[in-house]
This record gives sequence, C-alpha cells and structure tokens, in this order.
Amino acid sequence: MRDIKDTKSIRSRIGLLLTYAVMIFFTVMAIYPLLWLVMNSFKTTTEFQMNKLGFPKEWVTINYRDSWVRGKFPNLILNSLIYTGITTVATLCFSFMAGFAFAKIPNKATKVLHGSFVIGLLLTLQSIMVPLFLIINWVGLYNSRLGVLIPYIGIAMPMGIYLGTEYIRAIPDALVESARIDGATYLRIFASLIVPMAAPVGVTVAILTVTGTWNEFMLINILTSSDALKSLPVGVQKFAGALSSDFGKQFAALVIGLIPMLVFYLFFRKEITKGVAAGAVKG
Amino acid sequence: MPKEHTLLDAKREQKRAYWTLVLPGFLIYISVMAFPTIFSIFLSISDYNGGKLFGGKPISFVGLKWYGRLFVDEYFYLALKNNLYIVLVSVFGQIPLGFFLAYVLYRGIVKKADFFQTMIYLPTVISTVVIGILWKSFFAPYGAFPELVRLFNPTYEYGISNHPMLPVLFVILWMYTGMYLIIFIANLQKIDGAVIEAARIDGASETQVLGNIILPALSGVLVTTAILAISGSLKSFDLIYVMTAGGPANRTSVLSIYMFDKAFKGAPNYPLANAISTVMVIISFALIGLTKWVEGKFGGRE
Repeated sequence: MRDIKDTKSIRSRIGLLLTYAVMIFFTVMAIYPLLWLVMNSFKTTTEFQMNKLGFPKEWVTINYRDSWVRGKFPNLILNSLIYTGITTVATLCFSFMAGFAFAKIPNKATKVLHGSFVIGLLLTLQSIMVPLFLIINWVGLYNSRLGVLIPYIGIAMPMGIYLGTEYIRAIPDALVESARIDGATYLRIFASLIVPMAAPVGVTVAILTVTGTWNEFMLINILTSSDALKSLPVGVQKFAGALSSDFGKQFAALVIGLIPMLVFYLFFRKEITKGVAAGAVKG
Repeated sequence: MPKEHTLLDAKREQKRAYWTLVLPGFLIYISVMAFPTIFSIFLSISDYNGGKLFGGKPISFVGLKWYGRLFVDEYFYLALKNNLYIVLVSVFGQIPLGFFLAYVLYRGIVKKADFFQTMIYLPTVISTVVIGILWKSFFAPYGAFPELVRLFNPTYEYGISNHPMLPVLFVILWMYTGMYLIIFIANLQKIDGAVIEAARIDGASETQVLGNIILPALSGVLVTTAILAISGSLKSFDLIYVMTAGGPANRTSVLSIYMFDKAFKGAPNYPLANAISTVMVIISFALIGLTKWVEGKFGGRE
C-alpha cells in the first residue's frame, strides 16, 4: 500500500517538474530575444561582431545618445502620442454616442446602421488600402495629420460600436425611461447617465484602440511622405532598417521603439488582457 | 391639446438626438471603410491606372480581366501557398500551444501563473516593426542565430536557406501564441469551478475533466479562435514586410505583400492590386464559412 502511494507521488512530482520545465522553456523563449536585444544595444558595434551572445564587456550608452538624436525620436514619439491620443478619444466619443443611440433610442434605421458596423469588423485593412490612398489624395489630405487621423478613427470604430452597443444595451431601460419622464433630453441622459456607467467598457475600447493605433505602420506609411508626420514605428523602420551594419545603433533604436508599449503593458496588464479577450470574442 | 404638443416635441427631439449621436461616427466609418470597400471592387474591374479620378481620362470597365491575369500568375500561387502555411501554423500551432499553456495556468498546476502569463504574452504587445527588425538581425548571416547553431554544430556554415519561410513561421508562432493563451484563460475562467471540483472529488481524473467538462465548454471559443487565426493569417503583412519584404525572390511573399508591391512598388497597377484584395476577402469569408460549417456538423455544443 505504501509502495503504491510512493510511486504515485513520485510520478506526480516528476510530472510537476516536467510541467515547470515546459513553462519555463516557453517563458525563456518568449523573453530571450528581447533580452538579447537589450543586452546588445549596450555593446559597441565592434564588440557585437566579436561577441554576439554574451554580456557586454563594457556597457556603453553612446548608441542611445546617437540614435535618439539621429533618428529624430523626440519628434516621432510626439507624433505617435498625437495620433494615438486623438484617435482614442474620438473613437470613444463617436462610438459610444452611436452605441447609445443604437441601444436606447428607438429608430427604424438602427438595424441597417448597426449591421453595417458589424460587417466592418470583418473587413481588413488590405481591402481598403489602395482605395483609401486614392481617396485621401483626391480630397487633398495626402501627407497631413488629418489624412491619417480620419482613417484611424474609422478603422477603430466598428470594435468601439460593437462593444459599446452591447454594453449599453445591458443597462436597464427603466433607468433611461425614468430620466425621460423627469424631462431629461437624450443628449443629457447620454452625458450624465450613460457615460459614467459605460466607463468599464470604455477602458476596454481605449486599450484596444491605443495598442492598435500605436503599432499601426502600413497605412501611415502610404498616406504620408514627410518625415515630420511619421509615427514611431515608421521612424524605427526607416532608421533602424537602414542601419544594416551599425548594429549598436540599430539595437538601441529598436529598444527605444519597444519601451513605450512595454511600459504601457506593465501598467495596464490586467486591462489589456481583459480587452484582448473581449475583443476576440466578437467573431 | 397641450399634451399632444409635447408628445410631438418629444418625438422630434428623439429623432434629432438619434441622428446627432449616430451621424459623426457613421459618416467617418462610411467614408473610410464602407465606401473604399465598394470602391475597391469597382477598381478591380476597371482600367484605372493613376491620374485624375474624375474629369480625367474616362475610366472604362474591363470585366474580370485582372482576375484572369491573377490566376495565371505564378507569384499569386506562391503568395497563396505561404498564406496557407501561416494559416496552418496558426490553427495547428498557436491554438493548441496557447490552449495547453492556458490550461496549465488555469488549473493552478504551476505556481506564479501570473508571472508566466505576463511574460508569454509580452511579445504580442510590442510593435511588429521592432519585432520584425529584431528577428531579421537575429537570423541574419551576421546575427546570433548562426552563432547559436555553431554552439551545437561547430562546422555549420551560413548559406542561403532552402526554406526561407521557416524563420517567418517561427516568429509568427513566437509572437502570437500569447494572444491565444489570453483568450483561452479568459474563457476558462468563465467555467464554474465548483463543477470541476465536484468531478475531481467523485474521482474523475485530470484527463476526464479536460475531455468531459473543459473542452465541451470551450467548443464555441475554439471556433472563434480558429476564425481569428484564419482571418489574422490572411491579413499578415507588417511582420513579413519588415522581416523579409517578401524576399528572397518573392519566396516569402504573401497575398498582402503581393498586393502592396503591385500598388506601391514600381509602376502602379491599381486594378490588379484591388483584384488581389478582393480575392483575399473572398478567401477569408469562404474559410470562415467553412469553419462555421464544420462546427455545425461536428461540434455545435455550446
């Protein structure tokens, strides 16, 4: 009897050990390339060529100082903040306004309008890229901030509308009706009743919009031509991608490009994972 | 009489409020997404090739000419094949792996679940551009990969790979598995823990719990993730564009890169580019439909 119990516990202990080994393996796999990058950004290019895998013999920061200035990073980061900030605020406003109307104001048009947004969830950037480029040129918004912002807001809208409408629908009708009987207009109800109540889903939509917009790179690449309007990812690609032999600077530029999202992630870990799960269930 | 008057006012206010709230968002959406989608199909059957859209040379329709051109282009099939590889890696690599990791963390088999989750999800949040250049340098002849291989096989010489898609597929697996981990964890947490505990107390093994409680509860989520993986795979652009730009010799090209090249590299061929994107949308819808059909036929327990 004791023997059986012992072998069982040994076996389960080995199983546990194996599970830990597997989990640690995947964790190391996930972060090793990033650590490798950070480590090498502190080497001079000459040292990197001699020593590609080990720690730097001497930690130098010259790569960062050079890249920061030559890659015009302050300007790129500012642009990214502008694009992401305005897109997120506008998406939240417009999609919750419409979401409230769809959910709580009776109108025959809702079915068609809301449906058209839901179809938008399935549309891909590729299918609109070329026409968008032609249209933006045609209306004279090529190479302007507005010409980037309007597409960004439009692309973020379907998800905002979808999540916003679902959430606001779940708010009891009685709340809206009693406010109506008290004589409140719909716009007032939206501002003072719905907005505070929808704050949790607002966070989810904001997170999805921030991550999507900050990392976006293809559209802004074709809609703008001047360096002054580019965002951080495009700048990193132009600067670091062109440095095919100056690895030290390239790695430093990549680390600079990586830091904002890393900080954002470490601060909003819980909200981000919640948002991703919510956004995925749309299918 | 006065009551009727206020009722009419209220109706009017209701209508006005509805449109005030809906129109700003709807107009942006229509002009940025809905109209361009229709415009894209229109372009794909036209002979428009740059120049003024209106008032220039009149645009005439050429029917399905560009689609015909597409289906005889060997590069189209090369790109399509690579897209299918990505679909396979996503559906049979990312989803099972993500599920396995989520299951281990959810069942509390290991401690520090939060730490593991945070680290494994990390690659997903970082800009694709950074990831792409990082891996490009890692796999390059001067990068760390040949050096790593030499640790195990000292005679390794860097040569042009016969399978240039392998590093790309690896990075895709590396980058997005965390996303499926998160989706599965979120949905596993919705399962009533008491049911699992009760089954365990009644003597059900871990495997039985997995097969009889957890998998059936997740069948809907599995379909959703499959759809997500398929449509995501067909969309993949950024990472490959940065890592290889489709090279060498288009061997890592995918449909979106093929389209991008036709529209923005060299002399633009907008109709052909739009024919490609229309075909992409059709393939994506067909695969999603197929997944739903398979679910209805074989699964369907939600």
